[in-house]
Amino acid sequence: MSNLITIFISLAIINNFIVARFLGLCPFFGVSKRLRDAISMGAAVTFVMLIASVATWVITHYILIPLDVLYMRIVVYILVIATLVQIVELTIKRTNLTLYNAFGIYLPLITTNCAILGITLINFREGYSFIESVVAALGGGFGFAFILTVMSGIREKLELADCPKVMKGLPVAIFVAMLLGLTFFGFGGIV
Amino acid sequence: MVIALVIAAIGLLCGIIIYTVFVKMPTKVQGIEKTEELASILPGLNCGACGYPGCFGMAQALTRDPDLITRSPCAVLLQDAKKVEEIGKALGQTIDCSALNKRALVHCGGNSEIIYDYSGVEICKAAAQLLGGYKKCPYACLGLGDCVKVCPQHAISIDPERRIAVVDWEKCNGCGLCVLECPKNLIELVPATTKIGFCCNYQPLKNIEGREKCDFGCIHCRKCFKSCEYEAIIWNKERAIPEFDIEKCTLCLNCIMECPPNVLEMVAREEVREKVAV
Repeated sequence: MSNLITIFISLAIINNFIVARFLGLCPFFGVSKRLRDAISMGAAVTFVMLIASVATWVITHYILIPLDVLYMRIVVYILVIATLVQIVELTIKRTNLTLYNAFGIYLPLITTNCAILGITLINFREGYSFIESVVAALGGGFGFAFILTVMSGIREKLELADCPKVMKGLPVAIFVAMLLGLTFFGFGGIV
Repeated sequence: MVIALVIAAIGLLCGIIIYTVFVKMPTKVQGIEKTEELASILPGLNCGACGYPGCFGMAQALTRDPDLITRSPCAVLLQDAKKVEEIGKALGQTIDCSALNKRALVHCGGNSEIIYDYSGVEICKAAAQLLGGYKKCPYACLGLGDCVKVCPQHAISIDPERRIAVVDWEKCNGCGLCVLECPKNLIELVPATTKIGFCCNYQPLKNIEGREKCDFGCIHCRKCFKSCEYEAIIWNKERAIPEFDIEKCTLCLNCIMECPPNVLEMVAREEVREKVAV
């Protein structure tokens, strides 16, 4: 149990996908302008990470390892993740329109996000068991959503802040991202 | 060999799963039938020129507000009269596509004298920051192709001689992305049936100083207005530029021949030209 908590905290805060591993940076700047968008994006990423981890764990341990084709895992992972996201999108669209609208464009957008591929590769590299990889995916997704929410909160305030004209918009956001990264650097070495 | 087969098998399996899900899932969902119907009529290019995330997004917006089709129409759809009729039927209204169908017109004839060598980043937005551009006329097209890059139809090209953007009206579908892109606000959406284009964006009235800006700009002489035998040209007194009555124009091209600085240009598409010939 303590092992699972360690994995969760490690992926959510210490080895956070955005500020420590620098994965998934495009949504970090692209979708962090409004709090509402950031929350839907975070939820979508967490969800896709979860299903991707489950599916790739099964495929790795029941197909790739017995057949000894591990070196093809990136190709297979991308294929499987893309398929899964397509299926989920199709299902949501045809069954629950409200949920589909809440996810909006983000669900298909993150099909090939590097954070998603990252979690599956990290799961494999660390040799996580099934339960561990599920917890890792939840932790990673939570960390991603957390940073995205914090960033969008700051950026909403920044819109109103009185900053030099040249720094308005993206430049000042990049500075804030740097400070955010430094802050989370302080957590390094806890686990 | 075996490995290739394994990977191919996984891929095939993924494809089959997606297909089965697509077929098995209920196609008729409460509140989405109309959206699905509209989405099937829309072009499905997901270009995003309408401002919605893809054609399905536009279909959803249309279900909520059918009048949207006249306010912010899908430019690709308007090229096909049959499809316009179909979507009109689906929305329960008649749509006049000829009034909505637009084309982008660059209001600059080029040839404006170059006042300094610009060697910065090759985009109009950067060049426009420097003294309002390197051409003598402050309203001139800079010809560095911001609009070329953004055009989804590849309809815009840079004329190497005059160094201005030229829109191919046979390819253009009037989506309006270039209008937003131009830092000089030179591009305007005009009705697709337009026959004569006024290729000068010179703004102030009777400004002699402005005349000196470009030797090839409109001199507000009214020669075109006087030369027109069909009363197809209306003189806009406020801006001192000619305006064209598309219906009356017979494409006699008198005005183009009369114009001293050559700012008028025949822009009519083949379709329109054929109609005039008949």
